Amino acid sequence: MKYESQRVAWWFFATCMLLLSLQLIYGFIMGFAHAGYDNLHAIIPFHAARATHTNLLVMWLLCGFMGAAYYIIPEESESELYSPKLALVQLGALVVTGVTAIIGFHFNWWEGRKFLEIPRPLDFLVVIDVLAFIFNIGMTVKNGRRFTTTSLVLFFGLFAAALLYLPGMIPTVNQTSDSYWRWWVVHLWVEGVWELIMGGILSFLLIKLTGVDREVIEKWLYVIVGLTFLSGILGTGHHYYYIGTPRYWKWIGGLFSALEPLAFLGMAIYAVTMARKGGRNHPNRNALLWTVGCSIMSFVGAGFLGFAHTIPQVNLYTHGTLITAMHGHLAFWGAYAMIVLAIITYALPNLTGRRRHDAPSAQIAFWTSNIGMVAMTAAFAVAGITQVYLERRVGMDFIVVQREIQVHFVGLILAASLFTFGIGAFIWNFIKYGRPVGEVLPAGASDETPEEAITAGHAEGIA
Amino acid sequence: MLSKKAARAFFLVGTAVCSLAMVGLTIDSFRRIPAQTHAERITPAVARGKDLWDHNNCMGCHTLLGEGAYYAPELTRVYRRRGPEFIRAMLRDPAAMYPGQRQMQNYHFNPGQIDDLVAFLQWIDGMDLNGFPPEPTLNQVALPSGAIAPSDDRPQVFNQLCVACHALGGRGGAVGPALDHVGDRLNADYLTRWLHDPQAVKPGTLMPRLPLTEPQIRELVAFLSQLRTEVRP
Repeated sequence: MKYESQRVAWWFFATCMLLLSLQLIYGFIMGFAHAGYDNLHAIIPFHAARATHTNLLVMWLLCGFMGAAYYIIPEESESELYSPKLALVQLGALVVTGVTAIIGFHFNWWEGRKFLEIPRPLDFLVVIDVLAFIFNIGMTVKNGRRFTTTSLVLFFGLFAAALLYLPGMIPTVNQTSDSYWRWWVVHLWVEGVWELIMGGILSFLLIKLTGVDREVIEKWLYVIVGLTFLSGILGTGHHYYYIGTPRYWKWIGGLFSALEPLAFLGMAIYAVTMARKGGRNHPNRNALLWTVGCSIMSFVGAGFLGFAHTIPQVNLYTHGTLITAMHGHLAFWGAYAMIVLAIITYALPNLTGRRRHDAPSAQIAFWTSNIGMVAMTAAFAVAGITQVYLERRVGMDFIVVQREIQVHFVGLILAASLFTFGIGAFIWNFIKYGRPVGEVLPAGASDETPEEAITAGHAEGIA
Repeated sequence: MLSKKAARAFFLVGTAVCSLAMVGLTIDSFRRIPAQTHAERITPAVARGKDLWDHNNCMGCHTLLGEGAYYAPELTRVYRRRGPEFIRAMLRDPAAMYPGQRQMQNYHFNPGQIDDLVAFLQWIDGMDLNGFPPEPTLNQVALPSGAIAPSDDRPQVFNQLCVACHALGGRGGAVGPALDHVGDRLNADYLTRWLHDPQAVKPGTLMPRLPLTEPQIRELVAFLSQLRTEVRP
């Protein structure tokens, strides 16, 4: 840790851990309901669990992105944060808003628009809160001594994410227009600007962990975010095939969605290459594991599974089935959950001053959570494919089909238990690290141990 | 080799071109959406229905236009599949319609609200969705041989209400018993009394009292009575 104010990041990361745990509980409620044990129906009906599960995800990922930005930006721009106090106030306000929304869901107070269920008055609070965050980060970049591509990409990713929240608030009467704008937010977030944030964090981690020259890493960062926008913006069209929008979206959406895996493939090749060729043998092996793992899992989940399900002829049958849940789980895990866990794994030793790099629990956390998530994806896939064939191809009744596929949700629950064990290990490790009392290093010093930083030089040749 | 400057130019130009294309296509889409979705049919009742749809987070379980949560049935074509009477009965008391099955919450809608939701679903049903939802292409293959009564021979009310819970020729729900050869087992008089009030005939039965008119009951009894082994082998 180089700057005192980076400490605030810890509070954001701790909030992540808390919200993630809650998210898992609600996931189990839904898993059991699907398996035929909807025992909480009277208190937490499915739609309340569902809205809570997805909104908690969005909230903890946003918290993670904010924490990442508060950690990365001071270091990149070589100055203290503009206002650590504002950061804490802004975190508190976000948590209060989020918790209010989630409690509201249990009392039928929501907007009922998938992923954007937060009621309108709270939407405004979220916008104000994010603006405060952007202001804090923006002032730090502006006052900083150094402008780096990494910090600019990260900043503009976060800025665009705040801006793109607004189309979701456009009032409409037509269900189709409503969905149209909703996807401007949801799609352009997760398959657009969030990838910018992800790219920024990834680039920071690769610079720190591999020792490859910054110029090289940042050059490829531009190529990757370029590919992301080239495919992702018009790729929004894959949500416009069958909702009452013009037919040409099948062509445009199909074509550009087919290009979307390229950005993720690029990201995977980029991370793997840098990690292999980088000369630095960084002691925090687990941070590198999460970083490279993130790039690979996001290619599989978001890139490959997304591609398989967005071919218009396939999507005609899979649209609105559990296939979407299959793709959604691995995509969000691989791309966004893992990048947040990667930056947490990297930052914790520096924030807390404890070097528990080799703790067995950290390794267990990585492998069990990833194997668990892949198994969950497989369970969703079997359930989803069966649903597609029986309901959409054979024409069986929805409820009859659901009873046929109940058994796969028992498999899902088992896989989810393994996943939860991994997350439990991660959180246990987080707690063991303790509070952010790490010392601030003098100027010029590195977070890395000296003997391991020496080898960094020989990696310049990669281009 | 690619320079950082060239990489940045690729990013900026690519993003700018795609964003402009997206804005252009969005403007064009909004010009075409009203015709494709029959926006002229959005009456105040439809708008109120959408409001109810949103404010009760129906999408948190159901899917509509294929969007939602995959826990409850896809409702895009529910108006033609089940018809308004079924939807009304379902909304009045969801638990009665699918006893012992995955449950829907009872929202205690008043009759006006139920009408609004029916109007909303009727409007959705009329949309041109570029071929969604698809016709089941394997249904002929999967039908048992010598199937009884093709669906167009059946009374409309049978296709909308009864098949939600009962199967005939391997098609339909699995809540109540299958109705194949029901004419062998039950006579017309019993069927008439049963359809008027199932509880009166067999207290404790899971079957609800359905909102049927006299002509509908006569039509159903005639249809059910001829579902006999010897008539259609």
